[in-house]
Amino acid sequence: MRADAWGHGARFVAHSAIEAGAAGVLADRAGAAALSDVVDPRRVLGAGDTLDADAVFGLSGTTTPVMSAHGWVVSLKALRTGEGVSYGYTHRATRDTTVALVTGGYAQGIVRALGNTASVTIAGRRHPIVGRVAMDVCVVDVGDSVVARGDEVAFFGDPRTGAPAIEEWLRATGFSAAELTAAVGLHAAREYGP
Amino acid sequence: MSARLRIDLEAFAQNVATVRARVAPAELMLVVKDDAYGHGIQAIVARAVAEGVCWFGAFDVRAAVATRAVSGPRARIFSWLTVGADEIAAALDDDIELGVGDAGFLDDVAAVAAARDVVARVHLKIDTGLHRNGIRPEDWPAVLLRALAHQDAGRIVVVGVWSHIAEASDHDDDRARAQFDAAVNAAEAAGFSIEVRHLAASAASFARPEFRYDVVRVGAFCYGIRSAGGSSERELGIRPIATLTAQVLEVRDDDAVVAIGSLDGLPSILAGRVSVGTPGGMRELRAIGLIESIVEAWPGAAAGDEVTVFGRDVSSATDLAETIETVGEEILVRVSPTVPREVV
Repeated sequence: MRADAWGHGARFVAHSAIEAGAAGVLADRAGAAALSDVVDPRRVLGAGDTLDADAVFGLSGTTTPVMSAHGWVVSLKALRTGEGVSYGYTHRATRDTTVALVTGGYAQGIVRALGNTASVTIAGRRHPIVGRVAMDVCVVDVGDSVVARGDEVAFFGDPRTGAPAIEEWLRATGFSAAELTAAVGLHAAREYGP
Repeated sequence: MSARLRIDLEAFAQNVATVRARVAPAELMLVVKDDAYGHGIQAIVARAVAEGVCWFGAFDVRAAVATRAVSGPRARIFSWLTVGADEIAAALDDDIELGVGDAGFLDDVAAVAAARDVVARVHLKIDTGLHRNGIRPEDWPAVLLRALAHQDAGRIVVVGVWSHIAEASDHDDDRARAQFDAAVNAAEAAGFSIEVRHLAASAASFARPEFRYDVVRVGAFCYGIRSAGGSSERELGIRPIATLTAQVLEVRDDDAVVAIGSLDGLPSILAGRVSVGTPGGMRELRAIGLIESIVEAWPGAAAGDEVTVFGRDVSSATDLAETIETVGEEILVRVSPTVPREVV
């Protein structure tokens, strides 16, 4: 349950794990205190062997990812050939195109190193993150796809839904899947769904 | 036994004073987005108000409202994320000024203001080349006309014109500034009385007086975070206000095991690239696990000793960042909210 269950929310994870048949959950003292009203305290352990957390959270590519990260399209604008994008102009348009400003930056765990190396999914189509990722936003080149203000943007998640796999972020950043998902889950607004 | 982020509010106040002296007569807008860059918005805003800061910059409405709760009614709070009707309403109810860089959003703000019978204070954003949000120069005249109609109808008042610069080169920034001046002139020619013009963030506000205008938006330097690849803290006259520490759990041979890991927000790729402060001096950070890390031991190292990952008199957040080609801000904002903040 460390780091709020790797950013997935310890209360949700502990409750779900016990429901699914886990004998107990492993938590430090602060973590245990936060769980006292959702899990029988006798099932909150301070030591012991655990399940493979990468498998439980779906981070190893063999099980279903539990977390998906999303932003939304704030605005769209034309970008002309040769024009730069975001700080330092690390990307310049090679053709006239349309770029979307998307919520999600390095303060939400969308790692700064993903600029010009990773892509997102909007309405089932992949689009590259162009230019530097900023603290709260990034810019995506949507080309001539039909994208509207308010559209949902998938940063990573279950590849079967069309979202990029977290493995792509591993290659782009050198970070581990655990720390990538933890940072997003700890800093972004969390929602739980079926 | 866990890690801690210690926040020195005295150093913060001194940094704020340094920035204000440097940019005067322009005013400081203290940027407090993302929990005041991870430092804790409550303590930061309270101290800033006590120091006389009257402008605050919050990216989203949630942070703006959190700022208002601490600042009281007199502070001017600026929020610039394009949001939906509910959040526009929440912003207007708390007297938040809105940055508008999209014609559709301008209409939305005017509509919500009309429904609530209030006048929204708006800062129009010109895109001077960053190509994130902001109105493209060719669209600016049409948006000014639209804004004028909303202003004449009593729905909005355009109090500001603003932009972000790319800091790709001085030449690019000079071009951006010329576009900014043209946009301000066009707004004034259209009949607006522009009270505040703001263009510069930390770096440009320090280095380039002509970018200061009426207000500068500064976060990093107030928190003592220098720019990656830029001037030193000493040259800038600022000091880091945050210090990240962790306790030694045990010592095994030449390894001190410390209670901080990548799940706490310490990038695992720092391992082997940086040194951290120990009671025995700077020592290599050898490995970063999920919840524990390994530091090269020092003579007399013992459980309970404190190791300083970044802060004053050791490596700064920007020093760490530079070893992995990022910025100090990212090191700060990745620190997990579960790491306790200790205000001193």
